[in-house]
Amino acid sequence: MPFPWLSASILFPIGAALLIPFVPDQGDGKQVRWYGLGVALTTFLITVAGYLNGYDPAVEGLQMVQRVEWLPRLGLAWSVGADGISMPLILLTSFITALAALAAWPVTFKPKLFYFLLLAMDGGQIAVFAVQDMLLFFLAWELELLPVYLLLAIWGGKKRQYAATKFILYTAGSSLFILVVGLAMAFYGGGTPTFEYTALMGKDFSTKFQLFAYAGLLIAFGVKLPIVPLHTWLPDAHGEATAPVHMLLAGILLKMGGYALLRFNVQLLPEGHAQFAPLLVVLGVVNIIYAALTSFAQRNLKRKIAYSSISHMGFVLIGIGSFSALGTSGAMLQMISHGLIGASLFFLVGATYDRTHTLQLDEMGGVGQKMRKMFALWTICSLASLALPGMSGFVSELMVFVGFVTSEAYTLSFRVVMAILAAVGVILTPVYLLSMLREIFFGKENVELASHSNLVDAEPREIYVISCLLVPIVGIGLYPRIMTDTYRASIEALVQRETLAMGRVIHTPGSNLIRQASLLQAPALPG
Amino acid sequence: MPSAAELAWLIPVLPLAGACLVGLGLISFNRTVNRLRKPVAWLLISCVGAAAVLSYAVLAQQLAGAGPTEVLFNWASAGTFNLQMGFRVDALGAVMLALVTTIAVLVMVYSDGYMAHDKGYVRFFTYLALFSSSMLGLVISPNLLEIYVFWELVGMCSYLLVGFWYDRDGAANAAQKAFVVNRVGDFGLLLGILGLFWATGSFGFEEIGANLQEAVAGGSISNGVAVVLCLLVFMGPMAKSAQFPLHVWLPDAMEGPTPISALIHAATMVAAGVFLVARLQPVYEPFAAVQVTIAVIGTITLFLGASIALTQQDLKKGLAYSTVSQLGYMMLAMGCGAPVAGMFHLVTHAFFKAMLFLGSGSVIHAMEEVVGHEPVLAQDMRLMGGLRKFMPVTSTTFLIGCVAIAGIPPLAGFWSKDEILGQAFNSFPLLWVMGFITAGMTAFYMFRLYFLTFEGEFRGKDQAIAAQLLAAAGKGGGDHDEGEPHGHLADHPHESGWQMALPLAVLAVPSVLIGLLGTPWNSRFARLLDPHEAAEIAEHFSWGEFLPLAGASVAISTAGIGLAVAAYALRRIDLGQAVAARFPAVNAFLANKWYLDAINDKLFVRGSRKLARSVLEVDSKVVDGVVNLTGLMTLGSGEGLKYFETGRAQFYALIVFGGVIALVVLFGALG
Repeated sequence: MPFPWLSASILFPIGAALLIPFVPDQGDGKQVRWYGLGVALTTFLITVAGYLNGYDPAVEGLQMVQRVEWLPRLGLAWSVGADGISMPLILLTSFITALAALAAWPVTFKPKLFYFLLLAMDGGQIAVFAVQDMLLFFLAWELELLPVYLLLAIWGGKKRQYAATKFILYTAGSSLFILVVGLAMAFYGGGTPTFEYTALMGKDFSTKFQLFAYAGLLIAFGVKLPIVPLHTWLPDAHGEATAPVHMLLAGILLKMGGYALLRFNVQLLPEGHAQFAPLLVVLGVVNIIYAALTSFAQRNLKRKIAYSSISHMGFVLIGIGSFSALGTSGAMLQMISHGLIGASLFFLVGATYDRTHTLQLDEMGGVGQKMRKMFALWTICSLASLALPGMSGFVSELMVFVGFVTSEAYTLSFRVVMAILAAVGVILTPVYLLSMLREIFFGKENVELASHSNLVDAEPREIYVISCLLVPIVGIGLYPRIMTDTYRASIEALVQRETLAMGRVIHTPGSNLIRQASLLQAPALPG
Repeated sequence: MPSAAELAWLIPVLPLAGACLVGLGLISFNRTVNRLRKPVAWLLISCVGAAAVLSYAVLAQQLAGAGPTEVLFNWASAGTFNLQMGFRVDALGAVMLALVTTIAVLVMVYSDGYMAHDKGYVRFFTYLALFSSSMLGLVISPNLLEIYVFWELVGMCSYLLVGFWYDRDGAANAAQKAFVVNRVGDFGLLLGILGLFWATGSFGFEEIGANLQEAVAGGSISNGVAVVLCLLVFMGPMAKSAQFPLHVWLPDAMEGPTPISALIHAATMVAAGVFLVARLQPVYEPFAAVQVTIAVIGTITLFLGASIALTQQDLKKGLAYSTVSQLGYMMLAMGCGAPVAGMFHLVTHAFFKAMLFLGSGSVIHAMEEVVGHEPVLAQDMRLMGGLRKFMPVTSTTFLIGCVAIAGIPPLAGFWSKDEILGQAFNSFPLLWVMGFITAGMTAFYMFRLYFLTFEGEFRGKDQAIAAQLLAAAGKGGGDHDEGEPHGHLADHPHESGWQMALPLAVLAVPSVLIGLLGTPWNSRFARLLDPHEAAEIAEHFSWGEFLPLAGASVAISTAGIGLAVAAYALRRIDLGQAVAARFPAVNAFLANKWYLDAINDKLFVRGSRKLARSVLEVDSKVVDGVVNLTGLMTLGSGEGLKYFETGRAQFYALIVFGGVIALVVLFGALG
């Protein structure tokens, strides 16, 4: 039997987290942080080793499969595996968590609990991407909520209780949809209930069922992604979180939504997807423009970046709805790219807050002279975020654009209107990001702020964290195939599946519920 | 041994490697690297210098008749889609390579003098190398998408360099404005590229041209759609090459250090738009509507730039509007279907305008010794005058530049501008009239700049004017010389050191001579770019056609110069009295730059801010309001929320989680 890399990467951090109470520590976190960092790094190395030894990018199906009957009476099995949709996100998770552990260096308040939650989350999130059983997925999805909730509620800012409560209500509430739909899918068609993805893929769900299931899951995952108007937990949660939690929220948590959309909505419910895809595209465009505008008007730095995350996730939606291998590939790449760029920006926000003790842009200004390296890092990451070529954001957005525009699933006028609106984001993104840079760093020095003794330039640890994030950002930007080739086969198989389903939907008149709504008539071809 | 063309990828990579090395050094060992001024400068100059040597080797091969070289690799792929990237060397690219590297090296040498006392010296050189790399990458891009990549990168370098003195509010605003206005153009460019790819399935210039024509002929795409796509792509060059109405960023970009104005905002980056249009000729040529639009926009731009330049008091702003105007001429040539003429003007203009800007930098550098480091004072011509006595090299080269741009034979500007006017005369007579009148205006405003700066009495010590200027700029008296007491200021300016004088002298040579490569009866330039067309031009050349047109241009230029001499050298005519006072509306219109900035500010800047604020209102009041309301209602009352806010919410989370587990167990029991 090959070494169970995936199970190891899930269980090792959780197991190590349980040992934290026994780590000798003075209570100031100086010992436990090394432990936390070591475990997170080891987890990262486990995932990398798994990728190198057990994963073959040319294979489209599941790999590194491991299945152990757990509670046969419940139909529950420990079933993990990875394909092109999971593997990059697993790597992203362990990578960002390791950096978050390093970013958490200054945490001195209840450090043991902090690292315990961080590591538990690491395992939980890898599980979300790796498990191949819907019940298990649901458990992992819920399991990861708890650490986030506590991380928000204990280490957050002034309004942390409100933000944490909102987060838990939103996510827990929406995840009920996952449970209901999961149960319905498991029981569909009689016979032994099954939660295995592969078994569910084989089931022939009726189109009507697919529509209801799709709608339910869309709400659940839409909260996570987030999709406007289900997004209002995010600015609050991000506005209150500390830097390492931030990195995890933006870097990984949002990707769970996109991943789940691909895994369940597209893969398991392709006919539902064929009907809902135009809505996804419209929602994606709304995300891009709406959140870009709100970000522009925001005066609070954290919230500004939080809204910019929402805006960027719009491209994921468009890509998923594009019915093209290129567009879907772009959506995948946008998730990875935003995971890296979003994490870097949020890390910088935290580092800046440590120095200025304010997040209000009105109270900043001209600090570029005192913090030159910080200024440079901010500039690089902002440019990455506004999709400058040579960095990953550009490639992913371009792939989504080209994929969508050349997609044959939509009428020309729909594509034209959506592409033009999405491209408005190309103008709006630099408007809010560069205004932000100008207000923080440019102009006359804010004397009161500059006289602060905390206002020192970036320290090596911070430069190191950002550099680690920039290496893949620039690497993907220069040669995107280093990333896209790892999931190419799976995405192509997925797109083939959804395209076939679209053909079925178009050729079965009357089977579709939503045809009455004119907006959703956009799929037109192929004949 | 591989040929120079096969090694052309090294041309952008060498400066990039240098820039990355120094950039990493700056971030990791800031203090140490900042102290290594000369080594860094030498390293980066030799990187760009090596690129220049290679570029000339490439150019020599092209002159010897080597064909185009293209090397591609598969950059991105998904499904059936494959995107190639790589590089392509042909005559057009080789000319640009040589031009860009030459001016970049000269500007870098010049910057060693100009930025000698700046604390950002090393950073400045790094940005310069980074820019050179991006610009050179743009030049050798084999397809539209790769051009877009480097297009954005030069825009980023421009952003960084315009905002170089980031403690100045003006620079901060100008940098952002430059980037955003260019993004508006890129919005069109991106959509155009996407549309052309949809229509033709290709990003390559020739393929797009051929496939588009085929599609239109075959009826799968209507003529109107093709025109719209072409014009969308043209939005990119409009922004980058400062064409009306997207030119507004260029004059503001003068907030950057002057070497940047010479390199980026006069000679190379702003010419990228013209270059792209030249590259896209196979696409644009079949569509008359596109060509006419380009020509008309070019004409509006050339007139607008020249008219605003008439009233500028700021030396650099005057040159900036002159650049806008000259770019308009290049676009006009493109619209007339004469890319060779446009490219020729691009080359000649690059040399003499770079020289003029570097000259203005030399003046500003000298003025700063007298009036202090305050751009409002150091760049205003009302405080200059009589500088010829103090700065012989600068004044001589500046004068050569003025003669060249005014279009007096045999200097460079004459040949290239005259060729454009000749083309316009044949294609669009009405536009020719505008171009012709503007030629006179050009001569006038350039000599106005020259006389106000270099002739007459030196006015730099006039405290009354200085105070007036500061007041007009909204800066209180005295704060301009912070940390630099009056005692340190010199009585009169001095000529700049060799680092700055040498590039001026070097650039003067092509400014005088390079035009002779493009004489209409024997144009070596045209033969290199388009041998077929060169032969045709030479064949159709007749002195009877050339002399009247050329004579008319020279006459109107001379008239412009004469007016400037009468008004500013001999002081026979007081234009302020004679014209400005009599037509206050016109004067105000020009002084306010056609009110375009005001309109932009009102319509777009404030409009978008207002829109963004109202969206945020909606977000926090309506969308989030509904959420909070729902939350309240589910919990029964406001007391409920308080309950959760007082810290027992963890408990609730446990309930949620416990509920989930319970559900699972329950389900298990049922199953």
